[in-house]
Amino acid sequence: MISETHVGQPKRRAFFKSGIAFISGLVSLAMAVPLIGSAIAPAFKKGQTKWVDLGLVDLLKGARYKKINYTFQSKDGWVEANRERSVYVTDEGSGNFVVFSRVCTHLGCLVRWDENKRHFHCPCHGGVFDQDGNVITGPPPRPLKRRSVKVENGILYVREV
Amino acid sequence: MRRRIAAFFDSRLPLKDLENHLKKPLPKHINWLFSLGSMAVFLFMLQAVTGAFLALYYSPSPDHAYNSVNYISHEVAFGAFVRGLHHWGASALVIVVFLHLLRVVLYGAYKAPRELTWIVGVILFLVVLGFGFTGYLLPWDQKAYWATVVGVEIAGTIPLIGDFVAKILRGGEEVGAITLTRFYTLHTIWLPWLAFALVGFHLFFVRYYGSAGLPQNKPDEMQAGKPFYPDQLFEDAVAILVLFLVLAAAAVFVPVPLEELADPTDASYDPRPEWYFLFLFQLLKYFQGPLEVIGTFVIPTVAIVLLLLLPFLDRRERVPLRKRPVALTVTSLSVLAIVTLTILGGRAPKLEPSSENPPEQAETPSNIEDKHEDATPEEDSDDTAVFDFN
Repeated sequence: MISETHVGQPKRRAFFKSGIAFISGLVSLAMAVPLIGSAIAPAFKKGQTKWVDLGLVDLLKGARYKKINYTFQSKDGWVEANRERSVYVTDEGSGNFVVFSRVCTHLGCLVRWDENKRHFHCPCHGGVFDQDGNVITGPPPRPLKRRSVKVENGILYVREV
Repeated sequence: MRRRIAAFFDSRLPLKDLENHLKKPLPKHINWLFSLGSMAVFLFMLQAVTGAFLALYYSPSPDHAYNSVNYISHEVAFGAFVRGLHHWGASALVIVVFLHLLRVVLYGAYKAPRELTWIVGVILFLVVLGFGFTGYLLPWDQKAYWATVVGVEIAGTIPLIGDFVAKILRGGEEVGAITLTRFYTLHTIWLPWLAFALVGFHLFFVRYYGSAGLPQNKPDEMQAGKPFYPDQLFEDAVAILVLFLVLAAAAVFVPVPLEELADPTDASYDPRPEWYFLFLFQLLKYFQGPLEVIGTFVIPTVAIVLLLLLPFLDRRERVPLRKRPVALTVTSLSVLAIVTLTILGGRAPKLEPSSENPPEQAETPSNIEDKHEDATPEEDSDDTAVFDFN
């Protein structure tokens, strides 16, 4: 039942309907941009690169898949956090070091070096990498990552983000 | 394609019934005051949505709360804007719900058969104040900490069970880590569920009994006005747009305060509640010594009970306001009292920091537990003391 005073105003009604749609759209958009923007902001944040001390080159001479754990300071939101990392360091001679990331290229578990079988294996889904980090078997799609390193003043550094 | 999708849903859901519901005519002479309900619903949704996004960054622990709020305000993209909307939206919700309540009182809309709508509405008003009280502890700054200390002490004056209630609210003897997680949980889980259920009931009752309209509406005018959709909803939408623009402007141009980190040892700080509790803050000054409980418990409880029972105390036929001198007088005096107390509370001079208690460096939250006892409100009994809530 529509009252008589309001019958026959199709144009008015159409205007109201468009007005409601316009205002809802406007307010929703004005909300969605900042809300979603705030939620996805971390994805656009670039970390600062820094070089982290892994130890004296003299002490790493002849290292073969030597496990090194290190910590470095990095901002975690509002916290200045101590982050921990683990890598395998191998001395390739003539001052060249290879630092293997232990992060499995499949889904991020930490791989382990097996000295007897001379390969890396991942405890999660059975990925196996050879001594150069190439995939032998299992689901990992890429070789183990080799970390960026530099030697300066007799100290081996690894790059962190 | 669009027609086929529409036909799919039409044949499976009672959309036509819904449309007819929305198009049902309202009483005649509906004015803009009838948009207050829609504005309150909008503000509830605004608070829910902005709160849900703030929760992505907020950390409810004394070690992190303050810094995480600071992080939201200064480092998160749009963080200050979202926090601003939430902060000013809270104030707007208190105002809009209060005006909504006033409209219902002055139009006598709480009368039969709408008692249930009214009672749920009064409870919703209390829930909104509960959101306010639990919400502003969360930044864990000085205002947050001390307002909560005092607020919980107020609950502690309830005869017989006060101490018990205060301990439950704090989760212990003092305001600390457990209080913060409690208030956070109340603010983000318990109260929202409660509010959504109550808003649902409230809207159902509004729809079931129909809008109360104005007291001067004749029976044949009750369903002879404009339809809710699109006429009334358009007016509501315009009101909501204006409200949103004001809030957005406030969020952009008025920084949300964040005081110093909560410091339980800082006796130079003058605690003040959020503006919507200033009337209570001021009221408490007039009841001293053994009369304290009158301000902290008796008056608020009597006021709430009277509000809840209003439809049963006033059972006469609805008549226009000019024929209700008692209702008009009582309401006007109550509003005048609340406004006056709020203004007086807001103007209450802050004390000069005493030389015996120089402002100290804010402590780390881990010290809170040990040092709190130095600064409980009971310690200062004369009413010029820092804690003059009693």
